[in-house]
Amino acid sequence: MNRAANRRVLAHYGYLAVPLGLFIVLTILAAMRSPNLFTGTGLAGAVIVAAPLILCTLALTPIVMVGRGSVDLSIGPLMGFVNVTLVAWLTQGGFTHPLAIFAWAMGLGAAFQLLQALVILYVRVAPIIVSLSSYLVLTGVNLLIMPRAGGLAPDWMMAWGAGRSLLSPVTFVVIAALLLWAVFWRSTLHGHVRLTGADERMAYTSGVATEKVRIGAHLLGGVFAGLAAVCYTGLIASGDPTQGANYTLQAVTALVLGGASLSGGRGGAVGSVLGALNMFLVANLLATFHFEMISGAATKLAFGLILVVSLLANALTANRMSTR
Amino acid sequence: MTPQNEITIRLKGVSKSFGETRALRSVDFEARAGEVHAIVGENGSGKSTMAKIMSGVLLPDQGDVEILGRRPRNPIEACDAGLATIFQEVLVADEASILDNLYVGRDRLLGLKQSRADRVGEAAALMQRFAGEPVDLGAQVGSLPLSMKQWIVIARAILRRPKILILDESSAALDLAATVRLHEAINDLRNAGSTILIVTHRIAELVRIADRATILRDGEVVGMIGKQDITEENLLAMMTPADRHVAVSKEVVRLPRKGAVPPVIQADTLRLSAGSPDFSFSIEPGQIVGITGLDGQGHDAFVRVLAGIAAPASGMPKVRTPAGVEVLDCLAAAEKLGVAYVSGDRKREGIFPDQSIFENLAIGAYSQNLSSLGIIRRSSLGQMFQQEVSRFRIKIGRPSNKITSLSGGNQQKILIGRAFARRPKVIVLNDPARGVDLGTKRDLYAELRLFADQGGAVIYLSSEIEEFLGFADRVDVFVGNTIFRSLKGNMLDEDEILAAMFGQDRSQHVSFVAKDVAS
Repeated sequence: MNRAANRRVLAHYGYLAVPLGLFIVLTILAAMRSPNLFTGTGLAGAVIVAAPLILCTLALTPIVMVGRGSVDLSIGPLMGFVNVTLVAWLTQGGFTHPLAIFAWAMGLGAAFQLLQALVILYVRVAPIIVSLSSYLVLTGVNLLIMPRAGGLAPDWMMAWGAGRSLLSPVTFVVIAALLLWAVFWRSTLHGHVRLTGADERMAYTSGVATEKVRIGAHLLGGVFAGLAAVCYTGLIASGDPTQGANYTLQAVTALVLGGASLSGGRGGAVGSVLGALNMFLVANLLATFHFEMISGAATKLAFGLILVVSLLANALTANRMSTR
Repeated sequence: MTPQNEITIRLKGVSKSFGETRALRSVDFEARAGEVHAIVGENGSGKSTMAKIMSGVLLPDQGDVEILGRRPRNPIEACDAGLATIFQEVLVADEASILDNLYVGRDRLLGLKQSRADRVGEAAALMQRFAGEPVDLGAQVGSLPLSMKQWIVIARAILRRPKILILDESSAALDLAATVRLHEAINDLRNAGSTILIVTHRIAELVRIADRATILRDGEVVGMIGKQDITEENLLAMMTPADRHVAVSKEVVRLPRKGAVPPVIQADTLRLSAGSPDFSFSIEPGQIVGITGLDGQGHDAFVRVLAGIAAPASGMPKVRTPAGVEVLDCLAAAEKLGVAYVSGDRKREGIFPDQSIFENLAIGAYSQNLSSLGIIRRSSLGQMFQQEVSRFRIKIGRPSNKITSLSGGNQQKILIGRAFARRPKVIVLNDPARGVDLGTKRDLYAELRLFADQGGAVIYLSSEIEEFLGFADRVDVFVGNTIFRSLKGNMLDEDEILAAMFGQDRSQHVSFVAKDVAS
């Protein structure tokens, strides 16, 4: 019975093996190359730098899980949109109370995702097209609101980027996000999201309210996107309309690295967080080599290679498991 | 509980069209509590559409559906009204566990309606009863055999304790013993006062179990008969249009066999998997060989080997061509050597759901319809299409309509037409009659016989034994990944095949299978 239970765990969570293995290898390499990372301040800084990507990846996760190939390409520009509105509208207008900031960020993220979900459901456009349009529109809108990087975050946020202690506000935001995921994970919505993503027709004909489930997944993703924007604003202490595209690409890569299935039905917070951490570790490792001018290019090259290798490793382990 | 004899479901003047295909024309129907009511008809008669309308998946163009006093507009409302449907397609989520699949759609967004422990107990008991052995509810569904997936879909509906249960061709993937277990479960539900609607073309099954039957033809109700009138002859006569009435036995005129001919396919010391026993197989031009066995005995793997889809562990089959003997080791070789394959698993191995009827039939025939410059000749392709469509009397709207606008049986005919269109020398059919009505089956048998008499060879896998009688020259019965017995001539009868399927030498211990569960 115990072996059956083991096999069951493997079947359900086996997809985490590759990201976890990669994480361990990268951690060891990072510890060798830059021992600084594993001091108190090193970790504190790491959390602050990695938080926006972790939360962006988390935002993508429920949306991808619900199926129809709905990778939300607009996630980066959406985070940028919340960021520039926080700085250009709220802070400039004097609304700097933390409650107002968090409510605005999460509310705006959720509202935008709701809009996307409604278009996907009722205009019946393929999700990838909807999110591509949003990506383009938001990239433009962000530049309209704030033509170039600048402005200032609310005063209480200015110290976030310094990251002197591991128990910084950013850490708490990430923990709060993970708690929110835990609640979602325990809810029936999670089961419905997974089953809808695995086979939408089956879910529909079995009486799952697939439309509400899709809206729910998008709303949750929007809340995470809002939290990502808050952390991002804390990180740069200002507004920046140009970083959206970067975050979209990185978050999608992190999601795939974390073992989620882009066709839906499989994925989770653990995988996504591992994927994002792996991305961070790779960037961190590469920074210890002195590529100088081409370091940006080297990082992207490394991301691409690691993605291909980890997908290959995934395919191999999946094959081995199915032939057993 | 609903009082006996109360009307639980009623359709009034229901019509539905898909493009130019009129699936249902003003259908009236009703069923009572505590009865098993069959809805019978050929392929394309509108049975499945009717089932989908009753379960809220499709909305009628006209007319009313009333279920226990309500008028559901979608599957969720239909479930709430107390209706559960087992669809023709085996709808399961491969990435999820058996338990998740069984209880999908049962929870509201917040909170479970029933404790997990209760569910596990209830589900384990039911699955064990169905599968005949303990089932690991945590197992991932994707890796399970088709028959187990079918049980999951059936158990999912029965666990809801429905007041109305619709089974749409739901026993297609089950073997005989399993069908008996399903009938017991249906009986229990009926005795508890539920209405059970069985949508099927498998008449033999109904004669045992149905209390009443409504017969559909071309989207119209042609009659309703009570238990004493439910016989194969009656049902058949009502299902088939007058110009196609044929006797129930499917005797086909057979030409005298010429002298000994060398086999067209031969395999020696073939092993399906490492460690399984080896066997040999051969088929001559002009022969029809039936392949059968209980679930998972290797007959399915064997026809895949013959079609070049899968490789055996050892002993590749060889094909004789005018140019010499060549090894059939892959699909490309099968194509070159003139071996065509037709699968009964339309969803996975058959249709391209997003493509037109024309494309679906022509896909294998392009290379034979090229001009000298390598350009596709539309006109000869069109001719071929018309020929195959009329050969199998396929009911289609326009060739450019999507294949999914056709009923399951007509989709299957298109697939068989696809194989014929390639002008093969050998046709391998893997349970092609799954979801095909008797009229079509007869057309198919006659065409295959004609094909064989013209020098072709036919390998025909089926789990329905009756299909072979009067049709196959020989039946190879698989047990434990090898041919257990090869039956021909006088030995070729239902009892002998059944006995062989259960691994017995003579037909003396098999009477239990045919026992009547409805009584």
